[in-house]
Amino acid sequence: MRQTTLSVALEVKPESYDHLSSLLDKLRNRRNPDPSGGEGPFADFLTRVPAVHFMSLSVFPGFDYDPLFVIEANFDGEKGPFWGQLESAIGPELRAMLRCCKRPLDNAGPLFDSITAPDARAPIAPYLERRSLTPTVFHQGNRGMTRDRILAEHKLFEATRVELACANVDGPNPYRVLTPRQIHAKLRAAVLPDFAWLNQKAPARITLAQNIGDWVRLIGFIVATVFVLSVPGLFLRLAMPWDRYLILLVLVFAGIALLLKKIGVALPGTGIATKFSFLKFFFKQLPPLLLFVAGYLVIAVAIGTPLSMLATARNFDAAWRGMIEWLLWGLAGAPVVVAAIVLWLRVIERRDSSQDAPPVDPMMLREMARREDWIPQNHMGSVVLIKPGILRAILIRAGHRGLGLVLRIVARSGYLGSMRTIHFAHWAMVNNRSRLMFFSNFDQTWESYLDDFIEKAHAGLTLAWCCGVGFPPTRFLVKDGASHGRQFKEWARHSMTVSRFWYSAYKDLTAEQIERNFRIAVGLRKRTLSDKDAVLWINDL
Amino acid sequence: MSALTSRDVLRPGPKGFKAVVQRLVFALMPSFFTFLRRWKPVMKLGNNYLTSRYDDVREVFATDPAFGVVYKPHLDVIMGGQPFFLGMGDTPQYRHDTDAMRKVVRPDDLPVLAARTQAQAAEIVAGANGKIDVVDTLVRRVTFTMLGEYLGVPEPKDGDLRVWATRLFEFQFADQGNDPALRAEVDEIAPALRAHIQSEIERRRADPGPDDVLSRCLALQKAGDPAYSDDFIRTSLMGFIVGGPPQPPMVVPQAMEQLLRRPPALAAAQAAARADDDDRLRAYVMEAMRFDPLAPGLPRVALTDWTLGTGTSHASTIPAGAQVLAAFASAMMDPRRVANPRVFDPNRPASDYMHFGFGLHECFGRHINHATLHLMLKPLLAQPNLRRAPGKAGKLVKNGPFAERLVVAYG
Repeated sequence: MRQTTLSVALEVKPESYDHLSSLLDKLRNRRNPDPSGGEGPFADFLTRVPAVHFMSLSVFPGFDYDPLFVIEANFDGEKGPFWGQLESAIGPELRAMLRCCKRPLDNAGPLFDSITAPDARAPIAPYLERRSLTPTVFHQGNRGMTRDRILAEHKLFEATRVELACANVDGPNPYRVLTPRQIHAKLRAAVLPDFAWLNQKAPARITLAQNIGDWVRLIGFIVATVFVLSVPGLFLRLAMPWDRYLILLVLVFAGIALLLKKIGVALPGTGIATKFSFLKFFFKQLPPLLLFVAGYLVIAVAIGTPLSMLATARNFDAAWRGMIEWLLWGLAGAPVVVAAIVLWLRVIERRDSSQDAPPVDPMMLREMARREDWIPQNHMGSVVLIKPGILRAILIRAGHRGLGLVLRIVARSGYLGSMRTIHFAHWAMVNNRSRLMFFSNFDQTWESYLDDFIEKAHAGLTLAWCCGVGFPPTRFLVKDGASHGRQFKEWARHSMTVSRFWYSAYKDLTAEQIERNFRIAVGLRKRTLSDKDAVLWINDL
Repeated sequence: MSALTSRDVLRPGPKGFKAVVQRLVFALMPSFFTFLRRWKPVMKLGNNYLTSRYDDVREVFATDPAFGVVYKPHLDVIMGGQPFFLGMGDTPQYRHDTDAMRKVVRPDDLPVLAARTQAQAAEIVAGANGKIDVVDTLVRRVTFTMLGEYLGVPEPKDGDLRVWATRLFEFQFADQGNDPALRAEVDEIAPALRAHIQSEIERRRADPGPDDVLSRCLALQKAGDPAYSDDFIRTSLMGFIVGGPPQPPMVVPQAMEQLLRRPPALAAAQAAARADDDDRLRAYVMEAMRFDPLAPGLPRVALTDWTLGTGTSHASTIPAGAQVLAAFASAMMDPRRVANPRVFDPNRPASDYMHFGFGLHECFGRHINHATLHLMLKPLLAQPNLRRAPGKAGKLVKNGPFAERLVVAYG
């Protein structure tokens, strides 16, 4: 099942900020049974919006812009049905909230009018659908696990706990004397009557089509990137003899390398010791890189040869040979282009300002703290300004796109690298791409979550967030940055707002527990296990 | 034979070429709606507009100040000019009348109605010797018995309540062409039914009898509540009898037909019936109904110029006086709002369904339907070896919008 992560960000009329906040609090009070102030049942959402995993409604105040009302949603399936379900569940409340927002000045204005006019009854789903933002990067922790499957497998887990604990209560536990294979067989027989779906084949978490789609998009992105980086070389080669072209490349590369060596070191007080080395990373990635280059050549030749035949009237044999030669010359120029971009970036980075002591509103902090740590999961939402400049504008788009595509390939096991605490997280750009928004639904406390990030994924985090105004000093997009733990956390807290309404469909489950339930269910779906598999499987019981 | 004494619940359907065309139209309707949703979401035909997308259908139903009901002229014929809330806009009288009837049609009644429905269906299935017509023998009989008893409207001495109510229902909801033959029957039946209910009111005033809707109305009348005049009680009971019991014999057999077409769904529904899992069974029946609901849509009339789908690419202004058909059958198949609409999924949220309309005139009996429709099939589904009867009888036959016959065998 495809999962969707998206958000809707709407500008709020400044005078309606307090009213909107109170509407969100009222909605939360009606639905949240937590002792922090909730009154009504949350379960209503489970039946009325069966697609949703996590959802939040927040208002971001801001000094640079009017307040921003954000609906963040993570759900199963397509967005159209989800918005319909949400409207059915909290349509009147949402309409009241939308009335606090500013009328968009673009073509969506009439649609906004039709849903917010006094006594308006037009459906609001089309407006929310139109204003939905596609994330620039997103991560889905337990990818491919539908909400119903997560709940069903947890029910199965609880049944196994009861069976293991209560079998023969008055005497010795029979499971203690069984081999792993026998435990599997006995446990399966015990739970099967209540879980007939164990006899059915499990739906694939990531279908073949999705898998192919992920790879095709990533390869397409790499091919496009390589081509773009080759473009200067391709044109230069057309204008220059090969020997002069080569000499020029070598000279420029050497000059850039010398400059980079000089300015590549961290500025005083900004460096963080790290084992990460670009050279080591490069050599480690060399085999796949060469493979991609070969792939690039194949694809580019396949596309370019017919065009070349059309443009130059050459025959096929001459055209494809010429195309390969031309592309190789372009590739030869790509490292120089990369080096030039890195140099440009480094020059900019050295001039960047970072915020050493971001102010945090004590009231806001108290409100955030009051809503955190009631359940094993927590939620954060943050908005930061994006640093200006054409290079940043290009890098943030390309960087996020690449990071997102890579995550779709490497983060499929339910975990993000060694981080096992993220359910859903995403970045998106708002205010005409001048601000970057981040939302995350994670396990454990906010402090430990960010510590986890800082220790285990600081490079990716820095890559995704280094374009934010005030972010700790960064080197080459991925170094330092988030490794400045205290500074980064203060900066992140400063950019956050209160999660006034936040819903989790399985609030007692950690991402790790969901994977554990999944593994147990996978084992129990099998009629028998080999000794080796049974030994591994039993570790999760 | 007079319409009053007729035992033919449905009038003779069209024959020959006309019948073939009618079947073809019904068969092609889902594809037609798919086309409309994609290419012409609001289609104009003269002064009639057909709207097929989920959002637009909902907007039409929800915007009752702009889209009024068209039922009043026919209701006046049926009710003898007495107002019934189905024909009203959102007026104080509408609120008053619906509130008054909610005092006597209570949520507490639902478990009792459910139990009666299931018991009656079980009795009929048990006595049917392994073969039953789902339409007439099972659902129609259960519905009219159960609702007749609940409302306090017994069988007329010289007539058949099933025939009377179904004729009036056809006139009220299906007779867009104003068939003179049907009107002639209605002119006989409507006064007779009014007189029948009035005489029952008078009889029960003297002898209150069992606890039912009529006795509750009369008790409130006796207590001095001015809402419950004889005219109001009679008209309301007429409205409920005409609008209520003729519908389950249409839609429940259609759901059965849809289940029979899907053996895995049928097996799961049977398992739910055998396990006494009524909520699960209801989910299967509701989902089956989505594939063949009561009607393609419901008519409304534009009371003012109104732009439907404002701000969208298919926004269309409907002029005052135009008739709009809000195709809820199509809305429930709209992939823009209903996830995987072609898939039989009993776990859908309630918002995917518009079986009972939406907004001001959402069916007054929706809670009763919710509590009872699936239970009409439950004893049948619980039977072993449930299957279609051999031959044509085993497939659902329709007479216009009405289900006419579906015979199944079991045991």
